Amino acid sequence: MSLKPLPSLSFEHPYPPTKLMFSPPSLRRSSGGDLLASSGDFLRLWEVNEDSSSAEPVSVLNNSKTSEFCAPLTSFDWNDVEPKRLGTCSIDTTCTIWDVERSVVETQLIAHDKEVHDIAWGEARVFASVSADGSVRIFDLRDKEHSTIIYESPQPDTPLLRLAWNKQDLRCMATILMDSNKVVILDIRSPTMPVAELERHQGSVNAIAWAPQSCKHICSGGDDAQALIWELPTMAGPNGIDPLSVYSAGSEINQLQWSASLPDWIGIAFANKMQLLRV
Amino acid sequence: MAAVENRMVPENLKKHLAVSVRNIQWSYGIFWSVSASQPGLLEWGDGYYNGDIKTRKTVQASEVKADQLGLERSEQLRELYESLSLAESSTSCGSQVTRRASASSLSPEDLTDTEWYYLVCMSFVFGIGEGLPGGALANGEPIWLCNAHTADSKVFTRSLLAKSASLLTVVCFPFLGGVLEIGTTEHVAENLNVVQCVKTLFLEAPHGNLSTRSDYQEIFDPLSHDKYIPVFGTEAFPTTSTSVYEQEPDDSFINGGGASSQVQSWQFVGEELSNCVHQPLNSSDCVSQTFVGATGRVSCNPRKSRNQRLGQIQEQSNRVNMDDDVHYQGVITTIFKTTHQLILGPQFQNFDKRSSFTRWRRSSSSAKTLGEKSQNILKKIIFEVPRMHHKKVLLPDTPEDSSRFKVGDETANHSLSERKRREKLNDRFMTLRSMIPSISKIDKVSILDYTIEYLQELQRRVQELESCRESTDTEMRMAAKRKKPDGEDESASANCLNNKRKESDVGEDEPADTGYAGLTDNLRIGSFGNEVVIELRCAWREGILLEIMDVISDLNLDSHSVQSSTGDGLLCLTVNCKHKGTKTATAGMIQDALQRVAWIC
Repeated sequence: MSLKPLPSLSFEHPYPPTKLMFSPPSLRRSSGGDLLASSGDFLRLWEVNEDSSSAEPVSVLNNSKTSEFCAPLTSFDWNDVEPKRLGTCSIDTTCTIWDVERSVVETQLIAHDKEVHDIAWGEARVFASVSADGSVRIFDLRDKEHSTIIYESPQPDTPLLRLAWNKQDLRCMATILMDSNKVVILDIRSPTMPVAELERHQGSVNAIAWAPQSCKHICSGGDDAQALIWELPTMAGPNGIDPLSVYSAGSEINQLQWSASLPDWIGIAFANKMQLLRV
Repeated sequence: MAAVENRMVPENLKKHLAVSVRNIQWSYGIFWSVSASQPGLLEWGDGYYNGDIKTRKTVQASEVKADQLGLERSEQLRELYESLSLAESSTSCGSQVTRRASASSLSPEDLTDTEWYYLVCMSFVFGIGEGLPGGALANGEPIWLCNAHTADSKVFTRSLLAKSASLLTVVCFPFLGGVLEIGTTEHVAENLNVVQCVKTLFLEAPHGNLSTRSDYQEIFDPLSHDKYIPVFGTEAFPTTSTSVYEQEPDDSFINGGGASSQVQSWQFVGEELSNCVHQPLNSSDCVSQTFVGATGRVSCNPRKSRNQRLGQIQEQSNRVNMDDDVHYQGVITTIFKTTHQLILGPQFQNFDKRSSFTRWRRSSSSAKTLGEKSQNILKKIIFEVPRMHHKKVLLPDTPEDSSRFKVGDETANHSLSERKRREKLNDRFMTLRSMIPSISKIDKVSILDYTIEYLQELQRRVQELESCRESTDTEMRMAAKRKKPDGEDESASANCLNNKRKESDVGEDEPADTGYAGLTDNLRIGSFGNEVVIELRCAWREGILLEIMDVISDLNLDSHSVQSSTGDGLLCLTVNCKHKGTKTATAGMIQDALQRVAWIC
């Protein structure tokens, strides 16, 4: 199998983007193309038109009212249920919720005490974020004053780097800590106590992705160049949970995505390569 | 081609036509489009000829595939028509247009009768209700003409032509804004499924390549002597069909053993699939698509005949390059409940169906590679890259730098203003220093000290000068009729001291008020810098204290300490007050005022 990059679909991005994401399928554009969002210095939207012939910039969104430059964004997430809603998180400790159809800020919250590293939507109005202060907080847009901390890293101030919310089972979330080989599985019904800690990586974990069609499977990739697929049992055994299957890549796996529309494919990125793995 | 004409023809019409016609194995397909130039008329839109060919003229090598041949033939026929019509129209001008006789262009004698029919059709134009296409458009319903060669020319204007072309069946139906006509040299009973089939094939065929199965025809022959119509959707399949009309026989028939079980699973799967999507025709490209279609179709067939068919076909399938990945793919996808198989596209032709993952085993070596280099890229993404965008670039190593970053921003601004302020202060200090005589040091504290001293001295001098001037005034007034208080007047001013003493030496006159019997009046005023001390002894009367205080404050003296005592009808009053305001009352004035108030009875 070969993949060919389409040269007509490459476009210049002024700064290295911290995250790229296509709009969810529930977002129907009148023009029929797909929206691609990128975060970095600003939140930018690009349109890839239907016959995939070009990618045009649509808008550049700046959430700062006062200055020309906005605080740089570490990550963002597109809401599946409410596809005009997009949440970004930034090093200035705030999370900004955008309405991308009208290109305005819906709301801006000070989420944490330190930089926010990742954000993930659960439902139409609920999102969670992780930060350098080591906490996972859940926010509800209906009650912006309060947030719920559902986990704090055991060593205080260990930054949490990534967060993934299980779309099939909205009670489950997974997060990874800095310099740690553990994938921490959380249940929002039992705050502060992780449901499971998956500890079979031999290096730090870099990326996690829940299976799009199953509520029990999660895949993680790490510095040990391995991608592991785990199945979460209802009761954990005494020795911890072992993964189901493993794939060894050429070098440290830096990025991992489980395809939502083709659930037997997982994409990983390591060194300067991207691979598609069959489950 | 003659693209000059205004035609309202859908895109890729020829290809779609080709695909449709070839799949139902009819002789030709014509799309009549509504003329843009002459409204209300149907004219030749595009067509595809799939019938018998007499003389093949191609330039290419012999490996040309069937579909390309067909397309090419249709093009050639079109070219011929155009050149003929051109020649026809130009003969009136007198000049013979020599036809471009290239090696690949056809000449009339190369054509079969059916081809002629096809060609002549290009010249036809139908009005609404006129002829078969017109009738179809007018009614909005398909028209199925079974014995085209003997049809009434009112109904079918080209019936004579059809007779010569031995076309037995012609069908017209309204489609895509025009009329699609298909015809065949064989007798086909009326069956609207054909129409349906063509319609869906038309819509489904992607822009890509057509099927390249050159053995297509051969495979098909053993299947049917009659043409049966494929089943779409979940309608009940006509029981007369004992074979399934497969669009893509190669993909639907899985190679190898286990065919029957596969069929069963297909049936099961097919029922599950809610959308029995019709498959497009490029089996070689879109394997998964065809699978989905196949299952839909299979579900309605009786199993027995199916197996029978399978048995027949299996020998054909050896010729077919079939991936059983398709089947696997389909099963997996239905398990995963996704209907996005269609998007897979041509890239997934040759994938390896085995999982890339292997079973995990606990390995003995547990070398943990945690360290500074751990999560290198991830950290870069989260920590470094966002900060690259800021104007002030930080030390990029640790995330704790963020707090430092914020402070530095502010102090940068502050230090600038701070520096300016300091400069201003220094300037003013220098100015001050230059104004003060006898200043030796340059440090700020000393400057201020000296300044204070100098100011105080200046104030004293002013005070003295003023009181001197006052005393000269009062001296003159004293000469008139003033009573001077006996007792020393203390005066801080050395210059006025003599004058004062003189005043005090002047005799006192008792006020000529004999009302006071035995009163001894005393008034002593001392002033030290800004301070004034008033000592007064006078006869007490009701309200005198208040009056005295009033007088004192009228003189712009702020009294901050009052001691008073009364005894024996005498009021002894000591008031410490300060000059306030710019207008300072001199001792003489104070004296004057007090005397007036104190001795009025």
